[in-house]
Amino acid sequence: MEEAMKLAGSQIVWGIALLILAVVIFQAIKFILLAKKTSKEIGMTNKEVNSALKTGAIAAIGPSFAIIIVAVSLVPFIGEALTLMRIGIIGSAPIESTGASLSANAYGTELGSAGFTAQAFTAVVWTLCIGGIGWLVFVALATKSMDNIQKKIVNRNEKSKQIMGVITTAAIVAAFGNLASAEMVKGFEYIVAALTASITMIAVTALANKSPRMGWLREWSLGIAILVSLVIGYFTI
Amino acid sequence: MSVNLQKEIPVRDTNISSNSPMEQFHAKSHFWGRLTIWPVILLSISLPLILSFVLGYHPGWNVVLSGFFAYASIVAVVWVLEPLMYYPILGASGTYIGFLTGNIGNMCLPSAAAAQNAIGAQPGTEKGEITATLAIGAASIVNKVLLIPMILGGAILVANIPEHIQQVFPLILPAIFGGVLAQFAIKKPIYGVIALVIGFIINLTALAVYIKMLLCIVLTIGICLLLEQRNGKAQV
Repeated sequence: MEEAMKLAGSQIVWGIALLILAVVIFQAIKFILLAKKTSKEIGMTNKEVNSALKTGAIAAIGPSFAIIIVAVSLVPFIGEALTLMRIGIIGSAPIESTGASLSANAYGTELGSAGFTAQAFTAVVWTLCIGGIGWLVFVALATKSMDNIQKKIVNRNEKSKQIMGVITTAAIVAAFGNLASAEMVKGFEYIVAALTASITMIAVTALANKSPRMGWLREWSLGIAILVSLVIGYFTI
Repeated sequence: MSVNLQKEIPVRDTNISSNSPMEQFHAKSHFWGRLTIWPVILLSISLPLILSFVLGYHPGWNVVLSGFFAYASIVAVVWVLEPLMYYPILGASGTYIGFLTGNIGNMCLPSAAAAQNAIGAQPGTEKGEITATLAIGAASIVNKVLLIPMILGGAILVANIPEHIQQVFPLILPAIFGGVLAQFAIKKPIYGVIALVIGFIINLTALAVYIKMLLCIVLTIGICLLLEQRNGKAQV
């Protein structure tokens, strides 16, 4: 265990983790600049661009906190550097914990046990790193084709354009209907949390639509919904 | 400020010409998207190789393969399904940036949706795609800025949060999903009801997680299309 953690905190693991994070941050900045440039050309105002950036940033605070809590629980087993690297790119915390414990088992040990050697740690690194690039390889190879297919469909005629619009909206609503349901079947307090957030969101949006002076509420609506829902949820537990 | 621009109508039919701003944006997205994702793939492969063969901690191919296949049997389908499912929502640029930064369902999509809602941009339009890209980019940076110090010092911090407050942490996810669902259901309440009913029924079954997601999306799209067709809205 001690030897494994020493390896997990070694310069080489840190070096690669930080390089990857640097690429991720560079990419985010690059795409913001590209989108900013295009926004002017398609007639978006500076105010709209700033509002989009601000809203995206605020909306990420709540989810980031949730991600950090799960990530922190991984640190004792696989170290800070690998956690950063896996949660910082593509990874989602529950999948990474599953992968880590599966590969420790394949080595014949458990995460955090005395038998978790540097070799066992290396086995975990193999699974998480190679497993994690599955998405990236597909995205790197297939996104351009998906783009072309969508353009062909969209460019065909007016009717298919409308159908595409229905599909896009229905897909988003379905994705979140499914994610919310998956949480709600876990118990009463989960149902309360999801419904409270929904109701708060509707109320805040209605308020924001009422007068232009309340428009700023839209940027904060998700944060407010999460906060109100947690306060109510606290009393149902 | 867009007076001198010809292509100011933010709908997709303006991008038929290969020199339209959106065409250029997509071309640059493909270029920079791939240019950033391939190095991350190579760096990810290099770490286990170095640990195994430079530092000499190789656990044996047997262990590597059996661990990997156990993991892949759970997630391999998702490698392909997720990018396909989220593509209509994220667009090309959103796909590159969303999948590199990760946490799509619980962070990127909520951020994109909140931003589109804030400035009244429809998903699937040019303005919607640019807005989503700006929002996910900002979300990604905020996420990393919070993540790095919190992981370094976070274990101590989380341990010091009183237990009765820690109890609400599991409720953060249902709160995010419930809030974002409502945000879309405001525009199309009936879609929200359909998705929630289907999602609830599907989540009471013991199907694999990605099958549930796929089923819910396919069924909801199907029913909504039928509904719109009946209403005559999808006919021109």
